[in-house]
Amino acid sequence: MPLANLQQAAQQVANFLNNVIRLGGLRLKYRISASALPADSLIDDSEAQVLNVEIAGPDAPMLTQRGGELLRSLEHIALQILRLDPREHDLVSFDALNFKALRAQEIQMAAETAANKVRESGQPYAFPPSNSRERRMLHLAFKDMEDVESHSLGEGQERYLVVYPKGKTHLPAPTPTMPSRGGYGDRGGRGGFRRR
Amino acid sequence: MTQMDMLSVDDLVREIAKALVDAPEAVEVETVSREENTVLRLRVAPQDVGKVIGKQGRTARSVRTILGAVSMKMHHRYTLDILEEED
Repeated sequence: MPLANLQQAAQQVANFLNNVIRLGGLRLKYRISASALPADSLIDDSEAQVLNVEIAGPDAPMLTQRGGELLRSLEHIALQILRLDPREHDLVSFDALNFKALRAQEIQMAAETAANKVRESGQPYAFPPSNSRERRMLHLAFKDMEDVESHSLGEGQERYLVVYPKGKTHLPAPTPTMPSRGGYGDRGGRGGFRRR
Repeated sequence: MTQMDMLSVDDLVREIAKALVDAPEAVEVETVSREENTVLRLRVAPQDVGKVIGKQGRTARSVRTILGAVSMKMHHRYTLDILEEED
């Protein structure tokens, strides 16, 4: 059941972060707040509340380096401490330096670039492997486009998203580009715009 | 690096592990110090090993990422070994 006791969950997350800050020597501060579930969530519970954890401080840039690896790691540990099921991962959201909003913009741009490639070539395009949250953001971006469709292939860490011309999912999917640690933003995903 | 830092990083791993497992009393962290790095050897109850490793090793990888950041701050490399009981 999603976060039955929000106060208690917030306290558990606070304890974890206090340990990281105090014992790990990281100069960070944080603020935990609750909000309603975003409209695009897959969780079917209108009562569910999300714990938002906003981290700031002199060491905050460490969180967003390498595609937000440290930010995601802290979020992942918090989700595990709260014993949340993978389907409930929307219930906790960590952010720092507006990273998630900037990432969402990057993903939207990567989706548009990929859609253009597929339109021009008539061939499917494969993204590098990415986590479920980013794949979902990509799927949502493609849902708004009438002439392409997206599907996820592969398993686990290797799961990746392929964009097809609408109705042509029988075309063989290309092998995904090897992931760069920085994710789409650092992969030259915007390069496609130069051809416009 | 001071003795104080070393103690605090092993406490950090201990506290994170205790929060992740069902049997916190079974959590042990042993510190093996070398000149260039410090290995933190984590032992948990057999039924909790999966909880500290996580699906596809993601939880262990997350703890290692946190240790990586701490290592940078402390200018000393900390690595994590998760010991699996052989019995």
